[in-house]
Amino acid sequence: MARWAMVIDLRRCIGCQACTIACQMGNDLPPGMFWNLVTTVGPTGSYPALRLYHIPRPCFHCADPPCVPCCPTGASTQRDDGIVIVDQDKCIGCGACIMSCPYGARTRNEKLGVAQKCTFCVDIISQGKEPYCVSTCHQRARIFGDLDDPASEVSQLLVSENTMQLKPELGTDPHVYYIQP
Amino acid sequence: MIKERTWGWPIASYLFLGGLGGGMLVVSSAADLFLDMGTAFSLGTLVAAVIIGLGSGLLVFDLGRPLYFWRVFSKEKAILTVGAWMLSLAIICGLVYGSTLLVFSPWHGLAGLQAVFAWICLILGVGAAIYTGVFLGTIKARPFWNSPALPILFLISAVSTGLAAHSLLVHFWAFGATESEVTIIARLLHRADIVLLVVEIIILMVYVLIMRYSTTVDTARIAATWLSGSKKVPFWGGMLCLGLVLPIVFYLVPTGATLLLAAVLVLIGGIILRFLVVYTDERVMLPGEEQFLRWLPDRDEAFLSTWEE
Repeated sequence: MARWAMVIDLRRCIGCQACTIACQMGNDLPPGMFWNLVTTVGPTGSYPALRLYHIPRPCFHCADPPCVPCCPTGASTQRDDGIVIVDQDKCIGCGACIMSCPYGARTRNEKLGVAQKCTFCVDIISQGKEPYCVSTCHQRARIFGDLDDPASEVSQLLVSENTMQLKPELGTDPHVYYIQP
Repeated sequence: MIKERTWGWPIASYLFLGGLGGGMLVVSSAADLFLDMGTAFSLGTLVAAVIIGLGSGLLVFDLGRPLYFWRVFSKEKAILTVGAWMLSLAIICGLVYGSTLLVFSPWHGLAGLQAVFAWICLILGVGAAIYTGVFLGTIKARPFWNSPALPILFLISAVSTGLAAHSLLVHFWAFGATESEVTIIARLLHRADIVLLVVEIIILMVYVLIMRYSTTVDTARIAATWLSGSKKVPFWGGMLCLGLVLPIVFYLVPTGATLLLAAVLVLIGGIILRFLVVYTDERVMLPGEEQFLRWLPDRDEAFLSTWEE
């Protein structure tokens, strides 16, 4: 069994938003709906010691996702490979999971009336491909892989690099790791 | 859709109506069980069931797919599933219980039936009034809600608004009670409400002040919006003065007009509390997020809707 995870190298990300657009195109999202925002921190400091970096933010596919137990219909579930998904046939769009996600990863698709979010592109990774945001990143800032495989690039990076999670104090154990800029 | 979709007026109104209905059930069943005054509360009990029904209707209205609302009953362990069961049972049991209190109903006076449903309604009333607070309290993504005091505040406010609503109803249509009984019941309701209003002031102030000095900066920053920021007028002026302090003053000066006004103000205070809480839904800010939201173009929603056409 796999445990999918992503490492995002903030030293490499240039904030071009290509992953945001690739995600929208690949997942056929309506205009104005995002599963993968890229926010910018800075510029901070004073010239010439300025600092600016970008944080791409997909769903973190937490080990302990707050969006799963709150769902009253059982639409929001976590697969054995760690991917948190929303079953579109079960969701009624109550918004409990949207409010419960500390990372703002979920949005409601107003046309369908259901909660949606980044799925790590489940349908194409099962074919052995990489998620759209990863394959489109020309800076190789995103690395996707299996944490259960010690030889995978993500496992190697977690060992060799100083990675961090976003808001680890919430106890959600996100499985998207950032290499700090 | 770029900005997160959060809960709005339907949920806030539901929190008020659900609390009010639950509180009214608690008051009428407690009055029946412990004070033998059930008959005078027959109308209030039926109204309570209708109010819970209205609130549940708003919940369904706010869903993305309202026609599939029955799926909330499909999971056992979610707080919202438990809540949905309690609301449905509270509506049904409230109607049955209210009908046992009506003097002209064929099953009026069946002491066993009435007592059993009184206990059921007492429990369901507390449940319907408190589970929303428990649910909001477990959402750790929204720091201001994440507190054990929130369900208690909701429960006290629910029973307090329930007492106020009953005192209005008893005033206008006390079924099967004489005028002297009505005076006694109304005085009892007003006194009980004074006690609850004082308790509510204490819990509310302790809640906000301790949140103001919370361990995380986010929580402290959000609590400050109530005390001195963007929500200070609805909090100090609306919630505290209009909804809590003025009703106590009016209850203590018992003329006909002030008593009615006090009860109405208590209800308004309950509405303000729910709206304040629902609209204090700030998430813990992530790096760069504030700047991102600031940089969003104005009227992008209008652009997107035109685009879709």
